[in-house]
Amino acid sequence: MNEGVVLTEDQRDCLQEIVNVAIGQSCDSLARHLKVFVHLSVPRIRVVSKQSLSVELASFVGCVGAKVSGVSQSFFQVNVAPDISGQTFIIFNDFSLRELAGLLEYEGELTDAVEKKLLMDIANLLIETCVSRIGQQINTGLSYSDPTVLGQHILIDDLFDQKKLGWEDALLVEISYTLENSPFNCSMFLLMPCESIVVLKGKLDVLLEGL
Amino acid sequence: MSIPLLICDDSAMARKQVKRAIPDGWDVDITMTVNGVEGIEAIRAGKGEMVFLDLTMPELDGYGVLEKVKAEGHKSIIIVISADIQPEARERVMALGALDFVKKPIDGKKLSDVLAKYGLL
Repeated sequence: MNEGVVLTEDQRDCLQEIVNVAIGQSCDSLARHLKVFVHLSVPRIRVVSKQSLSVELASFVGCVGAKVSGVSQSFFQVNVAPDISGQTFIIFNDFSLRELAGLLEYEGELTDAVEKKLLMDIANLLIETCVSRIGQQINTGLSYSDPTVLGQHILIDDLFDQKKLGWEDALLVEISYTLENSPFNCSMFLLMPCESIVVLKGKLDVLLEGL
Repeated sequence: MSIPLLICDDSAMARKQVKRAIPDGWDVDITMTVNGVEGIEAIRAGKGEMVFLDLTMPELDGYGVLEKVKAEGHKSIIIVISADIQPEARERVMALGALDFVKKPIDGKKLSDVLAKYGLL
């Protein structure tokens, strides 16, 4: 692993606090959307290799062998190089998708098209509130690609095509959204490639120096 | 005499941000703890007449600290400083005996306003 991408303890703590504030924002949006209380959890942050990604994600989502659906959206800075960029994933297990439909009082048949709409709505809401709040705190304006559905009712291994991931090591931020009195949960992952980690570390150092 | 002030937050950055937000000239004797278990121990030891308390923490979270403070009858004045901006989070901590709620990242002016509002400065 490239040592330059490893965060110091101060940088990791700083990023974790920034992500905490962002999670608070997205939990508030989710709570308003679903009219429920959302539990905030502490995010996990570490550098992972391409080869270990699907195992890492499966263990976090907690459904090895279970069917999941996922949405992905990229974020980046316009006209900045090297920039802060990366990809965000939202992953639901099938059970949580049905629970979500129930919370939104959807009464019709849960076709793939309906589920896709539910997925996209929640992914949009969580990704844009969370990632933009991270950007704000590090004084970085971020733009987003259109979200895409990675797959519905498939194994987590099949959500990612390792060959298409354009990096070897990446910073992984894992966030879990759980609700009170509901078995619903969904997982959000942020992945940032090496070049972005270096830029991010610089931004974190600026914040740390200002303390 | 200095007021024993406890800052309880698992993040080193958040603890520094809170410390920096403390109004100039406010005569406090600061103790810092990194989770709720250490926080409640500091309160038992008389180091938390005033407490700035985070909610999302390992070991024992802020809700747990508020419950213990209430159960053990400590007279600590507790202001919750959290990223959890759901209105219900605020209602819950107030019901558990917190004096007020200030959202993260902390704004020194907001903290001063809250302290002034309750005549604590």
